[in-house]
Amino acid sequence: MMYGTKAIQLVKEIANGEKGQLTPFSSDVFSEVIAECSQHFADLRSLIRKMQEAGLDVETTKNEDHYGQLIHHLSLVRNKRCLMAYMYNRAEILRNLVWKVGSEIPEEIQEKLSHSEKEYFKKHSEALKSYMSRVVLELAVDMVPPKDPYIKVRVLDDMGEVELPSDNTANFARHSMHFLKRTDAEKYISLGKMEELTG
Amino acid sequence: MAGQSDPNVSIFSGEEVEFMAEDEMVEIVPNMRMEPLNMLCGDFGPFYPQMATQVPMWLAIALKKRGKCTIRPPEWMSVENLTQILEAERESQAAFQVLPFHYVEISSLLFDYASGDIPDLYMVRSLINDIRDARFLKVESSLESFEDARSSAVKVKNLSAMEVNVVRPFVGRALQAFYKHGSPDLVPNPEAMSARRPQATDNIQRRPLRRR
Amino acid sequence: MDPLLQETVLEKAGSIVRKVGSFLKMESYYDIDDILVEGQRVPVVFQQAVNGVDIDPSAETHCVEPGSKVELPYWLAHELHLRKVAKMKVPACFNQRTKLELGADGASVDLRSRCLYFYEFGCKIAPLVSDRDMGSFLLSAFRTRYQKILAKAHNAAFTAHSKLLSYLTKEETNLYEAAQSSMAAFKKWRIGGPRFERASVLGRKRKEAN
Repeated sequence: MMYGTKAIQLVKEIANGEKGQLTPFSSDVFSEVIAECSQHFADLRSLIRKMQEAGLDVETTKNEDHYGQLIHHLSLVRNKRCLMAYMYNRAEILRNLVWKVGSEIPEEIQEKLSHSEKEYFKKHSEALKSYMSRVVLELAVDMVPPKDPYIKVRVLDDMGEVELPSDNTANFARHSMHFLKRTDAEKYISLGKMEELTG
Repeated sequence: MAGQSDPNVSIFSGEEVEFMAEDEMVEIVPNMRMEPLNMLCGDFGPFYPQMATQVPMWLAIALKKRGKCTIRPPEWMSVENLTQILEAERESQAAFQVLPFHYVEISSLLFDYASGDIPDLYMVRSLINDIRDARFLKVESSLESFEDARSSAVKVKNLSAMEVNVVRPFVGRALQAFYKHGSPDLVPNPEAMSARRPQATDNIQRRPLRRR
Repeated sequence: MDPLLQETVLEKAGSIVRKVGSFLKMESYYDIDDILVEGQRVPVVFQQAVNGVDIDPSAETHCVEPGSKVELPYWLAHELHLRKVAKMKVPACFNQRTKLELGADGASVDLRSRCLYFYEFGCKIAPLVSDRDMGSFLLSAFRTRYQKILAKAHNAAFTAHSKLLSYLTKEETNLYEAAQSSMAAFKKWRIGGPRFERASVLGRKRKEAN
């Protein structure tokens, strides 16, 4: 199999997925690519050793072993780029999510994340929170330009007694309808626990 | 706030463009008495019954919703003026008539919140839709012109905010592609290119305007 | 200004420009499409012997002999090409037949099946292979096909199962979709309705259990 073929699988997973959607973290393929990297590294080292044993200058000699090293080096760099891009593009989706749902990872997302991604989500949301408290501004509200301060909503998931950001409490029983402060409702709508009613 | 609602769709959402349009001034006739409002964006009022006054669109709509005023549609929204504009739009293949930068959003806001205040509502609504469609066809045909050689730009005058916003994602990408493919590194000799062009140009001229 | 100082300043400016330049290039490091473009296969002929690798499927040892013909992904082929270890040849999707077809009726050629990344791949290949007019060929192909995409792009009545879409390369599809989604967003705005929605990353709405 041509070098770098496994790593392309990861990249294709992002490319073929629906834009902005997360697929479950491919930990198997991911660790296979890392193993491939280690193999390239080992091969590279043994080619260097071979040259050293023959008393050749590794820096300047351009023989078949040198070109072998070059190919293993390039394959390593290529695999690394694929791994990085996989992580980077998933992290971007997570960063966007933090703005929409706050500090708790929704269940549907939780099961798709690797351990380090969960950690990343948590830290990113903490950083955002501490920044917002420093500038004393709730930056994550009004992601859609505001109209009325109050909107009508219907509860889709039973949530019971809930304390709202505006310090009020409300009883969100399933299918109940409420007239809420827009800023209180926004997060629940993003999470799919409520829907906005119009008209 | 650009692109916050959905980074993948376009640079601004329709809601965001509308938000910007809500800063445009409009004349209202209050039916109540109220002290002046002193806000960061300016002072509005005082308000007296039956005394027309200028306020931003968002304020006009807030008052209208609470039954505190009627809104006077802007002069350009008259049937007479819109009929004239529509004719002129259809007559000229290239030029766009001068309309307020936010005509799409302002008219849409007024239809939604103050339909009772617009004389000849149905006529006005259909005229504006026709104008919008006629203009959009022209936008599309003007975009054909930047297949012109190396001009990585296209000049279209008098487009409105919403019209620009709708074509922005397409135009941005297309320009980028033309820029990339026309880069001197790849196409070292533009004259050699122009020798092939006549055939392509002919095609464009013969192509009739599409109907949607 | 002291000429020596001036020189230092110019040198500094030059290095800043280079840094910015390489930063801009970095932008595409994580770019999924760019990675896939560089994964496209290119035929090469080896000029040097290489030891300790498994890239020649016809070889029985872990070696590549000079003169061996192999198809390598672009990311590997172009580095070897630059170091004169192997020589790149024009990939099949840019062959004479494709050129003739594109020249005759560019808009109806199925480029997607030839190479999903036809233009981007072509742009990378063009400066490396000895085909002088490949760049202008790409430009004129894109220009002709652009017209056809423009004609359909903002038209909502034109649906996704059309034949045209199955012919388009990735970049052309992106162009088409950019227009479609912005038109759809405009229509949605015009119709109105709820302004707040469930975050799209959470997927489609779960079916209500009753």
